[in-house]
Amino acid sequence: MTDFLLPAIGNIFEPLNLLLMVFGLTGGIIIGALPGLTATMGVALMVPVTFAMDPISGLIMLGAIYAGAIYGGANSACLIRTPGTPSSVATTFDGFPMCQQGRADEALYASLLASAFGGVIGTFFLLFMSAPLARFALKFGGPEFFWLCIFGLSTIAVMSRDNMLKGLLSGAFGLLVSTIGIDPNAGYPRFTFGYYPLSQGIEIIPAMIGLFSFSQVLNLLGSDKQYIAEYNPRKGAFMAVVRKFLHDCKVNLLRSSVIGTVVGLLPGAGGEIASIIAYNETKRWDKEPQRFGTGVHEGLAASESANNAVIGGALIPMLTLGIPGSAVAAVILGALLAHGIQPGFKVFTATGELAYSFIVSQFVVNILMVPVGYLLAKVMAKILNIRLTLVAIGIVTLSVIGSYAIRNSMLDVWVVLGFGLIAYFGGLVGMDTGAMALGIILGPMIEENLGKCFHLSKAEGSLWNVFFSSPISIVLIVLTALSVATPYLLEMKRKRQATCAAEKDSVHA
Amino acid sequence: MKLRLGRMFLLFALMLGLCAGPAFAGSYPEKPINMIIAFTAGGSSDVQARIMQKYWNKLGTESWVFVYKAGAGGAIGFGEIAHADPDGYTIGGVNVPHIVLQPLAQGAQFKISDFAYICQVVNDPQVVAVRKDSPYKSVKEVFDAAKAAPSKIKLGLVGPFSGHHLMMLGVKSTYKLDFAEVMYKGAADQNAALLGGEVDVIFGNVNDVMRSLDQLTILGVAAEKRNAFLPDVPTLKEQGYDVISDIRRAFVAPKNIAPERLKFLREAFKKIATDPDYLADMKKAGQPAEYMDGAEFEAYVQKKAEEDRVLLESYGLLKK
Repeated sequence: MTDFLLPAIGNIFEPLNLLLMVFGLTGGIIIGALPGLTATMGVALMVPVTFAMDPISGLIMLGAIYAGAIYGGANSACLIRTPGTPSSVATTFDGFPMCQQGRADEALYASLLASAFGGVIGTFFLLFMSAPLARFALKFGGPEFFWLCIFGLSTIAVMSRDNMLKGLLSGAFGLLVSTIGIDPNAGYPRFTFGYYPLSQGIEIIPAMIGLFSFSQVLNLLGSDKQYIAEYNPRKGAFMAVVRKFLHDCKVNLLRSSVIGTVVGLLPGAGGEIASIIAYNETKRWDKEPQRFGTGVHEGLAASESANNAVIGGALIPMLTLGIPGSAVAAVILGALLAHGIQPGFKVFTATGELAYSFIVSQFVVNILMVPVGYLLAKVMAKILNIRLTLVAIGIVTLSVIGSYAIRNSMLDVWVVLGFGLIAYFGGLVGMDTGAMALGIILGPMIEENLGKCFHLSKAEGSLWNVFFSSPISIVLIVLTALSVATPYLLEMKRKRQATCAAEKDSVHA
Repeated sequence: MKLRLGRMFLLFALMLGLCAGPAFAGSYPEKPINMIIAFTAGGSSDVQARIMQKYWNKLGTESWVFVYKAGAGGAIGFGEIAHADPDGYTIGGVNVPHIVLQPLAQGAQFKISDFAYICQVVNDPQVVAVRKDSPYKSVKEVFDAAKAAPSKIKLGLVGPFSGHHLMMLGVKSTYKLDFAEVMYKGAADQNAALLGGEVDVIFGNVNDVMRSLDQLTILGVAAEKRNAFLPDVPTLKEQGYDVISDIRRAFVAPKNIAPERLKFLREAFKKIATDPDYLADMKKAGQPAEYMDGAEFEAYVQKKAEEDRVLLESYGLLKK
C-alpha cells in the first residue's frame, strides 16, 4: 500500500489533475443543485470524455463530479426546498426553515462543511478498511435489506409526531404509488390501465420534483411574499458554523458519516436512505428533538455528512468486488471497465497506483470542495434576491426540463405536475410530503426484497427462518421497534418532566 | 437564476458538441441519425454502442445522436424504435431474448416483426457460476443436487422474463429438476448475493461475471463452443447438457425503412463489426463480440420466438 501512496500523492498534485478536480466539483455542484439533474446523470455524461484521458485523470474527474453533485443537491434543498438530488430530501427539513429565517448563508455553509466532513470520513474507510467492509456488505441479503427498509420507513413515526395517522397515511400512499409498473418478482404490469409507459413505474426523481419543488412553487405563489425568503448575509457566518460544529456536532457528524458509509456499502441503498436514517438517529439521540425541523444545524449536519459519506462506502464494493454500491458507482465501474481495468481485491496491487490515486484524490476533492462550494454558495444564494414570480417560472422550467431529461419521457413531466398537485392539496389537509417521498423511495426495495424472502423460504422451509435468523436482521428489527416507540417514550418523558416542574412550582408556591 | 440557466445552456452546448461529428453531403444519410439506447447511459448496451460509434465516425458519414429511453427492462426504448418514423434517421439497439419475451409475456407494445434487422453485434452466453469455496465442482454436481433435493438449491437469476429465467425454465423441464429461484434486479445484486452466500449458484452472463472472476468459479458456458474470455471453462454441451442460452445485442431500424437505406446501414455495420481494431476494443471492454448479418439474425429471432412461446406456454406464463 505504501509503495503506491507516494506516487499516488504525486499524481494528485499534478496541476492538470488539480484543475480537473476543481472543474469536476464546480460542474458537479451545479448539476446537483439543478432539480432533475442528478449525480448519476452528471457522471454518466462525462464518462465518454474520460475515454480521451489518462485513466487516472478521468477517474479523478468523475470522483470530483460525484462528490460535488451530492453536495450540490443541498443548495436547492436549502434555498427553494427542492432536493437537487434524491439524497438531500432530509436536508430540506432544516435547511429551508433556516433559509426562511434569513439564515440561508448559514444553512449553505453548514451543508458544505458537513458534506466535506462526511466525504473525508467515507474516504477514510475506503482507504483503510475496504476488504473487511466489503465482506460485511455481502452479508446483506434479501431479509436484511427488507428490515433495513422497514427501519427507514419507521422514520415516519418520528418525522410526523404531530399527527402520526396522517404521516402513516402519506407513507402508505407513497408505497401504493411505488407498486405501479412491472412487478419485480412476477414480471407482470400492475396499475397501468393499459397505458404502456406506466409499466416502467413512477420514476423517483420526477415524483420528488413534483412533491417538493412544484408544490413549493404553488405554495410560494399562494403566499403574498415578494421573495422566497429574506436574506441577510452576515460577516462571520462561516466561522460561526465552524465553531458550532466543533462545539456541538462532533458526535453527530461522526455517527452520521458512519451511517452514510455503511449504507453506501450496500448495493441498492444510497444517499437517499442514508441521509434520512442519519437525520432520524440524530433527532432521536438529541436532548431536544422537538426543535428539529425548525432550522437547526444538527439536522443539516446529519443529512449532508451522511449522503457524502455514502460515496466512500459505495466505492468499496465497486473497487473490491466489482459490485457497485450506488447508481453512480455503477457508472464509474463502467468507465473503469472501458479503460480495461478489472475490479477485484487485486485492484489494489495490480493497478495499485490508479486505485490509490483515485482514493487519495477523494480526500483532496472533499477539502477543495470547501472553497469551491463557498464561492458557489454565495452566487446561488443570490436567488433569494430575485423576485418570487421569476424564481417560480425558473423552478417550473427547470423541473420540466429536468424530469424530461431523465429518460426523455413525457410521462415524467405529467408525474411532476400530478405529484405537485397531490402534494399541494395534500399539504392543505396536513399530509406529509416527506413521508410520501419515503414510501415512494422505499416501496420498490421493500417489495423486491420481500419477494426474495418468499423465494428463499422455498429452500429454507420456513419464512420465519428467513426473516429472523440473521443477527443483522435482529439488530435492524430492534432498531425499528425503538424507532417506532421513540415518540411515545419522549412523550412520557415530557409529561414526567412537566409534572416534576409542576410539582416544583407548587412547592415554590 | 439567470446564471444557472446560462450554465445549463452551456452544459447542453457541451453535450451537443460531444455528439457532433464530421458532416458529409450525400443522399443518405444527410443529417445525423438518432441512435435509441433502451438502457441507461453508461450501461453495457451504451458502452457497446459507443465503441461502434468510434468506428462509425471513421466512415466519414453523418454522426449518431444518442437518445436514451430506459425503462421496463428495455421495452420502452424498443417500442420507441418500432414506432419511429421509418425514414432511416432513427435506429437503435435491441436485445434478444428481451424483444422476444416482452411482447409474449408482458404485453409490450411492439412485435418482433416491427423491426428491420441491421445485424447482431454481441453474443453474451449464459454461464453457471458458483463461489470459489462452493462444494459444487461441475454443472453435473449442481444439477444432480437439484434433482436429489428439489427446491433446495438456491439459484440467483436476473429477471423475471430474462434470458436467465428462460434458461432456468428450459433446464427445469428438460432435466426434471427444481431450484428455489430468486430474482434480482441486476447483475450487480445477483453477484453480491452469490458472493454473500444468499444463493448457491447463479445463471449469469460472461460480461457480468468477468467483474468478479477472482471470487467465482465458472462451471460451464451455455454456448455451442467455448468462450474467448473463458477458454478453460467447458461448455454445458461438453458436460452432457444440451443447453444453449445467451443474450444477443443487435441493431435494428423500424420495419418500413427504404430497402436501399437498410442496405447502406447493413453494409456500414458489417464494415465496423469486422474491423480488427473494433474487435480489440470490444475485447478490452469485456464485450463478447459476434457478428451475424441482418437476414440471418431475423431468422434466428423468429426461431427463438417460437421456442420461447412453447416453453412459456408450458408453464402458463403467456400473456393472454
